[in-house]
Amino acid sequence: MLNKLLFKNQDKKQLIIAMIGAFMGITFLVTSIHFLIQVNDFGKGAEILGPNTIIVQKKVSNSSTLGLTSTDFSENEIEKIRSEKFIDDVKPVISNNFDVSFETADPLVPRFRSDVFIQTIDPDFIDVKSSNWKWNEGDEFVPIIMPRDFLVMLNTFMSASGIPQVSDDLAMKIKFKFTLSNQTDKEWVDARIIGFTNEVSAILVPETFMTYGNTKYSNGTDQKITQVMISGKESEFGLVEELLEKKGLESKNSQMVVGRLKSIIGTLFFVVLGISIIAVFVSGLVLIQYLQLLMSKNAYEVRTLMRIGYRPSEIVWKFFIYFTKIFGIVALLGISLFIPLKLIIDDVFQSGGIYIDESFTIGSIGALILAYVLFTVASYLTAKKGVFNEY
Amino acid sequence: MIIDFCYQNHTMKIELKKVMPFPLASIKHSDESIWGNDIILEPSKKIILNASSGKGKSTFTTTTTGLRNDYDGDIMYEGINIKSYSPDDWSLIRQEKISTVFQDLQLFPKLTVKENLLLKNSLTDTYTEIELIQLLEKLEIDDKWTQLCGLLSMGQQQRVAIIRALSQPFEWLIMDEPFSHLDVDNTNRCLAMIDERATKLNAGFVLTTLGDFHNFNYDYELKL
Repeated sequence: MLNKLLFKNQDKKQLIIAMIGAFMGITFLVTSIHFLIQVNDFGKGAEILGPNTIIVQKKVSNSSTLGLTSTDFSENEIEKIRSEKFIDDVKPVISNNFDVSFETADPLVPRFRSDVFIQTIDPDFIDVKSSNWKWNEGDEFVPIIMPRDFLVMLNTFMSASGIPQVSDDLAMKIKFKFTLSNQTDKEWVDARIIGFTNEVSAILVPETFMTYGNTKYSNGTDQKITQVMISGKESEFGLVEELLEKKGLESKNSQMVVGRLKSIIGTLFFVVLGISIIAVFVSGLVLIQYLQLLMSKNAYEVRTLMRIGYRPSEIVWKFFIYFTKIFGIVALLGISLFIPLKLIIDDVFQSGGIYIDESFTIGSIGALILAYVLFTVASYLTAKKGVFNEY
Repeated sequence: MIIDFCYQNHTMKIELKKVMPFPLASIKHSDESIWGNDIILEPSKKIILNASSGKGKSTFTTTTTGLRNDYDGDIMYEGINIKSYSPDDWSLIRQEKISTVFQDLQLFPKLTVKENLLLKNSLTDTYTEIELIQLLEKLEIDDKWTQLCGLLSMGQQQRVAIIRALSQPFEWLIMDEPFSHLDVDNTNRCLAMIDERATKLNAGFVLTTLGDFHNFNYDYELKL
């Protein structure tokens, strides 16, 4: 009966308009947050370098070939790049300063040996468990991350030797060893592959192993930094590209393409997210305004109910529940539209060759819950104020 | 605050201690007036408050029942200043201690007679629906049970408002010109019903009037 008194015979036109606005806002909010998260997560786990991270080197020009300009990075140059606002971090890529060769050391695999080039990069930039990525003198083996091209080369050799090629998993079980040497000393250290990368052309080793080799077997020349790792901020990858162009730096094209793609799509969804937040905010305001209008139209009823013995909190609760239900309906409708919308957008991505994660993101559901909580709190406070104004 | 005077067969005492509503402060009041003097509404007494228009009869109703606070002095229920009551305390008081028939009736015009009565009755489950219809029958408006209150005549609405006020337990019934739109027969029927209910509950009532005593034997008269 209270519901009939307070909510029946009301002009529902404004309520329906506000509900449609809130419904659209909620749908776009959930959709944009979902895809913003999925696009940012795109590529994570597939490569060992973190998202938005690239390895760059100076472009080799005629003048550098002639020795007029240097292809090394000075501390000052690294510091200048680091000081840019859109750069998260810059770290040098350290290379071996000693002779090193790499060979198979497994009775099940024919001997294969090659002089190699090894590098180490800061562990913060590598997407592997830190417990696996460490080496101390005396350890059973050195963990290494292998360029995928090297596995292709190894498989070509296997094939030519008449033995079956090896998969990633099998390659990680094969025993290898490094030979570290200088003019007077030589040492063998066992190695195991723990991962592969398309982004780095050298074999990656832990920093402690590189320090050990460079200290004990250095060929006497100065350690030069010819490559650095740059980690750019989310959605600002375009600025990183501009910087590379300005400073005459270059990176592997595939790294740039993914970064650029993520940056563009991320920015796009960020704009949609901004519009969605505004839409939800405005439609929430319209709904709250409708609540205020409803309360002012019901001023006599609210006042009289309290005069005949109804508790103010009971009346506040009625308004609160009514609007909680309305926003609940809006949220449910929003989610209902989000699901087919997500399927369509997933299809669009897939038809463009981009396979993003198709699972639902907790963040988008969290945003919906947050919007719901904020709205219910606002409607409770408005209802309370409206009822006690009539007390 | 805990309403600590809820025990059976006891009617609370209402005291007005030098109460002077702000809008009436500029008017000179007599020594017998309830305004500016110490007045006690004795428990279980049937009281008439007789005064001409503009002297503050409705002000008495609204200040005594806690609906307005713009006055000097103190109004006490059983020794407790009513300005200290919380909104929830007032809800309890209005459900079980004091019932009111307002001069402007305060019915819900968009609800039926049935809904108006059940809305009040549901707070305390005082009557069954059949008993409510029987009360309407006594006042000859039982045929209006399903009609919208807003469509009834003022006299019919006044009778609905009286029955609504009786649809709760009370220790005091405050009525502000409750028979202003009723003929003599209907007034007598209403007054008899009110008297019977008040007596049954050992409750008192205050009836404000413009001078008509409705041939009822009141315990005493208050003046403005």
